[in-house]
Amino acid sequence: MAANGVETTKAGGTQGTTSRNGAWNVTTRKQPILKAEPIEALSNELGIPIPEMIFGDNIVSLTHIKTGWSLEFNARDALDKVSKTEEGMLQVAVAEQWKKERSHQDEVKQVVKPFDWSYSTDYKGSTHPGEALGAWEQTTQERFPIRTDLLSRPDPILFFDTVDLYEDELADNGIALLSVKLRVMPERLLILSRFFLRLDGVIVRIRDTRVYVEHATNKVIRQYTAKEGSYDHVQEKLRQMRENVPEAFRDANKLAPLLKTVEDMTDVFEVH
Amino acid sequence: MSDLDKAIAQLRACRPIPEIQVRELCYKARELLIEEGNVVTVDAPVTICGDIHGQFHDLMELFRVGGDVPDTNYLFMGDFVDRGFYSLESFLLLLCLKVRYPDRITLIRGNHESRQITTVYGFYDECLRKYGSANVWRYCCEVFDYLALGALVIGAATELEPTDAPFADPSHATTVSEGDEVEVELLNSAGHIVTRHVRDRYIGQSSQLSNPPSSPSQTREQTPSRNGAPGTGATGSSHGSSGNGGGAVLCVHGGLSPLIDSIDKIRLLDRKQEVPHEGAMCDLLWSDPDEIEGWGLSPRGAGFLFGADIVKCFNHKNDLSLICRAHQLVMEGFKEMFQNTIVTVWSAPNYCYRCGNIAAILELGEDGSNAGYAPRSNGDVERSHGASNGVLTERMDKLKGPGRRYRVFEAAPQDSRGMPAKKPVADYFL
Repeated sequence: MAANGVETTKAGGTQGTTSRNGAWNVTTRKQPILKAEPIEALSNELGIPIPEMIFGDNIVSLTHIKTGWSLEFNARDALDKVSKTEEGMLQVAVAEQWKKERSHQDEVKQVVKPFDWSYSTDYKGSTHPGEALGAWEQTTQERFPIRTDLLSRPDPILFFDTVDLYEDELADNGIALLSVKLRVMPERLLILSRFFLRLDGVIVRIRDTRVYVEHATNKVIRQYTAKEGSYDHVQEKLRQMRENVPEAFRDANKLAPLLKTVEDMTDVFEVH
Repeated sequence: MSDLDKAIAQLRACRPIPEIQVRELCYKARELLIEEGNVVTVDAPVTICGDIHGQFHDLMELFRVGGDVPDTNYLFMGDFVDRGFYSLESFLLLLCLKVRYPDRITLIRGNHESRQITTVYGFYDECLRKYGSANVWRYCCEVFDYLALGALVIGAATELEPTDAPFADPSHATTVSEGDEVEVELLNSAGHIVTRHVRDRYIGQSSQLSNPPSSPSQTREQTPSRNGAPGTGATGSSHGSSGNGGGAVLCVHGGLSPLIDSIDKIRLLDRKQEVPHEGAMCDLLWSDPDEIEGWGLSPRGAGFLFGADIVKCFNHKNDLSLICRAHQLVMEGFKEMFQNTIVTVWSAPNYCYRCGNIAAILELGEDGSNAGYAPRSNGDVERSHGASNGVLTERMDKLKGPGRRYRVFEAAPQDSRGMPAKKPVADYFL
């Protein structure tokens, strides 16, 4: 299968492609959610309850073929970066009302296993060095830009996939979703790992990790952007834009421009 | 053919019925439901189903696997709507069947049967899209307010009638000898037995239950259950139980409430309203069992978690042998917890068209062996004085659980119709 000189393989929920110059490979694996036993094992290992929909066998990986260096996205490592304490813990919209109503009930013990149940993660992928030397180095978009101009060109997309890592419905208080998209064009590739949180009546949060490679280079450029906005503020803006509000609230792409950037950093790995 | 039968035929074909018919149907359904108590009494045999979430074609598959209404007596534990693409058709079909065969199908309320939740999670938008107005959504919401909060299954047999069904994998076949009681059976969608558990008859004394690790029933569960045929979702989470005497089965969507210590207290609630944000009615539809002691508040700041001791006390006080609930996705379709005192049943396969999970329904047989039996579990039997003390629970007698036949099934292939294609469409995302 040498369409456009790009190798595409597919087996057992796994598929991938190699850039035409043979330098880079991307692979995705998609499986059903985990069964009860692996969920329990993972929960014990990480020390937090596991999201309702846990695609623990799903993987997206980018590999530098010559050195075996790879950047991988998986649910386990992403969840390991979720706060396991009360720090930064959000509360659902009706929590205050609950506190008042339930204060007289002695039989209810403390909050069970406090942790960041919104599953907010600042995961930027897991790096496996292989035989490569070097390290991630902090840089800027000015020095190592993700070339949106080149990415906006209608170059043929030779390989495309979206892979969910985990999702939780937050007991119907919104949604927390971590999913990875990738597209490979003849000369470059882009991976977007997006954490999307909508806690109804409280907050909207998007944390994006973009990974950009020009196939002809040995550089992996990675940009992490965290955005947030209060639910009310976003709702107001959507109304002003005459959007169908409930529908727009399900679409992270619509919400992203309405949020405030709270963190933005770029780093680069020169693989050699 | 009556109008109602016509409507059923049309809905079975997954075609919505006209708005005027919906209005009439909802009116009739309300008249019927208003007569039901908060806790409906249901005689076994009955087939208990969990969340459907608008996965219409999978609901059809459920009826194929479990038998059709009215041949099979069904109990649906709520969450008919939202998330899936056919909430409207699914709910209206169930409602039509309820009006047509009121004694053969019981519908209880899930947390998604609410105005607030359906506006966020899809049902409202679906009604708007399919009818051009919110009227149908409003009619349905009015019906939601009348749905019962729970059901009490009485007269369930403590052992399963042997079936002629073949084993899916003959090497796992267990023979049932004289005097053995078949307690749990797991069947795949072809009706083949995947696993079978025989109740341990050597445990007559309830004292054994306080010492689970040495209990023979614990070793027995090792047998075939974790080795089910691929794709059947044969689960390790169904364990044999033991005890003496039978009991009733309480079905609720979510779970228990710290404000409710007897079934009679559920009966006293004023249910005909939108699901409140807090209080007993909210808890019954929202709470979850968890591996904790006593009651816990969810880290989210709202919603309760309850431990094994709470379930055991509640079951003891109310002469229950089992609590059956839905509300939580489980890959294997069902999950028994707390020494089989509570089970989660999930009936939406490949949930949200992407989880790849198996669905299950639970069949409870009729106790034909003792016609005069069926103790009424009205919750007013105070056998345990001050039994909310966790220490006491260890000594409590446990009623013999009902024989449980789980049928598991996968998503219907046609439910991919009108769905986003399995292969994601490439886009120039940035």
